[in-house]
Amino acid sequence: MKFSIEWLQEYVDTGDLSPEILAEHLTMLGLEVDSVEPIFPELTKLQTAKIVQVESHPNADKLNLCQVDNGEEVLSVVCGAPNVFEGMITAFAPVGTVMPGGMKIKASKVRGVKSFGMLCSEAELGLSESHDGIMELPAGTAHGQTLRKALGIDDLVVEVDLTPNRPDCASVIGIAREVAGVTRTPLTRPVEETTLEPNYNDFKVDVENIEFCPRYSARLIRNVKIGPSPWWLRKRLLSVGLRPINNVVDITNFVMMEYGQPLHAFDYDKISGKQIIVRNPRNSETTFTTLDGEERNIDNHMLMICDAEKPIAVAGVMGGLNSEVTGDTINILLESACFNPVSIRKTARKLNLGSEASYRFERGVDPGGCLVVLERAASLLCEIAGGTAAEGGVDYYGGVRPLNSQTLRISRTASLLGIDLDYDKIANHLQSIGMRCKPKDDNTLWVNPPTFRVDIEREVDLVEEVARLVGYNNIPTSLPTVHLSYPEKDPKRELRTSVSSLLADTGFTEAINYSFVTEKHQDMMQLKEDDSRRQLVQLLNPLSEEQSVMRSMLLPGLLENLKRNINFQQSAVKFFELGKVFTPQGEDEQPVEKERLTCILSGRRAGTSSSLYADDAVVDIFDAKGVAELLLETLRLQGCDAVDTVFFRYPEENESEVFAEPSQCLILDTKEGVVGQLAKVQPAIAKNFGIKTEVYFIDLDFELLSSLLGAKKHFSSLPVFPAIKRDIALLVPVSTKAGDMLETINKSKEKFIEATEIFDIYQGKPLEKGMKSVAVSVTYRSPTKTLTEKNVNKSHNKLINLLTSRFNGSLREG
Amino acid sequence: MEQQLNTLLTLAKEKLATISSSELLEEFRIEFLGRKGEFTSIMKGLAQVPKEDKPKLGQMANKAKKDIEALYRDLHAKLSAGSAGNTGESSIDLTLPGRKPETGKLHPVTQIMNEVCSIFEGLGFSVAEGPDVEHDHYNFEALNIPAHHPARDMHDTFYVSDSILLRTHTSPMQARIMETQQPPLRVIAPGKVYRCDSDITHTPMFHQVEGFLVDKNISFADLKGVLTIFTQKMFDKDLELRFRPSFFPFTEPSAEVDIACVICNGKGCRVCKRTGWLEILGAGMVDPEVFKMVGYDPEVYSGFAFGLGIERIAMLKYGIDDIRLYYENDLRFLSQF
Repeated sequence: MKFSIEWLQEYVDTGDLSPEILAEHLTMLGLEVDSVEPIFPELTKLQTAKIVQVESHPNADKLNLCQVDNGEEVLSVVCGAPNVFEGMITAFAPVGTVMPGGMKIKASKVRGVKSFGMLCSEAELGLSESHDGIMELPAGTAHGQTLRKALGIDDLVVEVDLTPNRPDCASVIGIAREVAGVTRTPLTRPVEETTLEPNYNDFKVDVENIEFCPRYSARLIRNVKIGPSPWWLRKRLLSVGLRPINNVVDITNFVMMEYGQPLHAFDYDKISGKQIIVRNPRNSETTFTTLDGEERNIDNHMLMICDAEKPIAVAGVMGGLNSEVTGDTINILLESACFNPVSIRKTARKLNLGSEASYRFERGVDPGGCLVVLERAASLLCEIAGGTAAEGGVDYYGGVRPLNSQTLRISRTASLLGIDLDYDKIANHLQSIGMRCKPKDDNTLWVNPPTFRVDIEREVDLVEEVARLVGYNNIPTSLPTVHLSYPEKDPKRELRTSVSSLLADTGFTEAINYSFVTEKHQDMMQLKEDDSRRQLVQLLNPLSEEQSVMRSMLLPGLLENLKRNINFQQSAVKFFELGKVFTPQGEDEQPVEKERLTCILSGRRAGTSSSLYADDAVVDIFDAKGVAELLLETLRLQGCDAVDTVFFRYPEENESEVFAEPSQCLILDTKEGVVGQLAKVQPAIAKNFGIKTEVYFIDLDFELLSSLLGAKKHFSSLPVFPAIKRDIALLVPVSTKAGDMLETINKSKEKFIEATEIFDIYQGKPLEKGMKSVAVSVTYRSPTKTLTEKNVNKSHNKLINLLTSRFNGSLREG
Repeated sequence: MEQQLNTLLTLAKEKLATISSSELLEEFRIEFLGRKGEFTSIMKGLAQVPKEDKPKLGQMANKAKKDIEALYRDLHAKLSAGSAGNTGESSIDLTLPGRKPETGKLHPVTQIMNEVCSIFEGLGFSVAEGPDVEHDHYNFEALNIPAHHPARDMHDTFYVSDSILLRTHTSPMQARIMETQQPPLRVIAPGKVYRCDSDITHTPMFHQVEGFLVDKNISFADLKGVLTIFTQKMFDKDLELRFRPSFFPFTEPSAEVDIACVICNGKGCRVCKRTGWLEILGAGMVDPEVFKMVGYDPEVYSGFAFGLGIERIAMLKYGIDDIRLYYENDLRFLSQF
């Protein structure tokens, strides 16, 4: 909702309130001021100037060379307008002006003659559609002043961000009423009250759908002369961003902005049967052409204004082309009505047609205000358009509900707001905005809200009014007195926090991607046709194809993040994302939402660490495995003490992700099911995302992970006796898995084995081809005595025999 | 013996005064304090003195040795400190960078979210989470926003079907929790929300924290008290704030809370649109209609609810000027926080 300060002052004396203070008052009343700006800010540099001499341009027939006096100096300006004459006062844009269209005025040469500025037409200034030559200001207008001052538009426009509950403030008078309330000054309106004598001679009104149209009033204005509106009226409309059209349309728009009641003007002579019928369309009436020339589909839920034969307007939304006021119109039927907000909203939605009128009807207009507005518009039509108002008119108000008094409890108000109140305080506040109050009993008031406050329906609505008028900042602050209770913590949330901080501490940066992605991701990842992640939750109204489905996996988003960072020369990337993926269920059912944890690793292992200490080696699969191990260890999910142990294993056939390199893929498994996998992204897949470097990922089912139970922390006493370490270097075929060797040792149940560790793998000369050396260190310790060589040798030799026989190996000599 | 000790002490002191390098100091150490040094031989002589003199002489000898040792240590410290600045071969260039372990960062949204949650957890609120893809019922109807209510214009909604949508706020958690639990309630609900709107100040996905407290005798003054604590913990304890009337269909009275602009300190700038104030959260007393829909008696219970945008708070706290940066996941951005 926009209004100008000058316009506001027609209804309320704002005295010496500065625009800033006024804006603050409105904001604190719940009418949030969005901006206060000069109207026509782009005209600030424009001046009035007098043309002192006109000569023909020496090199162009249609151009003139004018000498222009801007009050300070006389400048040469080339002008092509036909209407220039010596002595004319016009609008002058000096060099440096940026015109409303964005063009910057420069000193230039036009056909060899220098020109310093531009003489402007009204259209060029955005003041009207008129291109018929440059703007002519009344003779006697002083030249050398700002154009804004000369036109009386040295005014400020205020934009209020109106909440849906205050349709009464969708008008300048509505705003003025609030200002009058807060400053306790009187409100003056051009028409305060009026009555309408019934007159059914000129036309009849028949409302068939009372529910959709509680009130319909109309009057006839004869013999209007259609033409442009006077400047003061156009100025008002322009100041709030409305385009002047002709005097009749301008008056209806002006009065709507003034009072908040939309009006519609019909060409009376186009109304068949001189009859207005307010009804839903007949079955045969399926299309209707609105006055913007569009043919629109209508249905019988919409409310139409019809004449004896046909629809002539979509009620409350837009008029019809068949009854439009044109340059030839002589007689006007002026409508001022009240329509059902929900019906108007549905219709405007269906037609995809919002208007200033429908905006107001949707929110609710004052059912008591129709006649006042009709009177105001009629008198302006007579005054400006030279019309004659016919005697009386029609006012149908069968659907208007009688006003109900409401009760307001003083104690309830006080306790809900936390302040002390009594009858006088409450009544005083409510009366300042036109509510009538009287006592009901010791604790209760009767309150009659004015008809324009369609939002006041319940006691709590009145409590809010009291709070608003007391001023929120005058309500004290206190803290609630509550019973102590312990807020239970959500274990999944706790786990999220600890996993996130572990990953961040170990070099991973958290990424957050949009939950909606492009459907193309599934192809870029080359998912199989029957992959369940191809079942996607589709948005009906996405902003773009890029954000049209809810994601079913996190990796594609992270790969895009990687690509972006590589583009910006950040190639050492470790990201993790912990977020939801979505799987559709049946029609009109919520999808299943599951959390996943996905990490990606790519580029230099040492990240951005100084090259003084770290080389430029890039990450490999063991970096990914290491992170997974660290995570599981921190969560105490590895080792035999854990209730739910997570172990790594090779994927079975077709178990590795299609986008993973099968030879570099590990499954993280538990007895509860597979938690996820870690792998190298296939280069071809990475390439689909524009990535040429190696990328590794870990992708885990966070729901399952959070349901696993780790080992309890449990103390074991520190060893008292020393350990003996023995190394075994075994030559085995290269296909032998070192992990299997460790497992064999650990499962051997040989006495005193405390720990095992692989400390070297070697392949190449002088070893035989196809063989490798695996060096394992075994730690022996007894909890009860100091071991001797003899104790250990027995076990150790058994181990060697076991390993050599099981893995087809031999001890490496030397 | 006593004589001997005094002479040695004087000699040692004189010698120390002339020493200017670590090498010479080491020679001194060997000569006086070493295993075969002067003191050792004197101490050995202690065995021959008469029994009655032993304690006294022993004490003297020990004291003399300690004195020399102390002097030695002082000089040693002095000399080694000096050597760091030398350009000799053994010097270490400590202006070189340290071996810094590589760490990552939590997303700024997560950081602020954690901060917000922990303030309310400190006030005894529990944390609950709900679905991103929500029923129209919980997102709108249960919050007193029937179909065709103009308040729906305040929410540009992404739809999945006629009745399923991406939640436009975290407020549905009010209805979901009140439906299954009885007062007293103190809950916050953080999460992602979605609106079809995208420009320099809006992303189609962002994060909110909803909070509500329902009990007997809860007042608007209590709402002000709790949110004042929150705002001052989040920003600055002396930060000025104001409450002003607003409208949400599920609260009445409704309020918006502004803080004095943290960019210009309330003087007026581009960020606060020259008002000196920045809007940071919406709040209000839970509307009786919302209570009725979940079966609470509004005559018995009252409560307040509030909602705040995490990105907005991060923007104000960190001075981020383009909201789109949040979801580009550019390390140059993420590593700043």
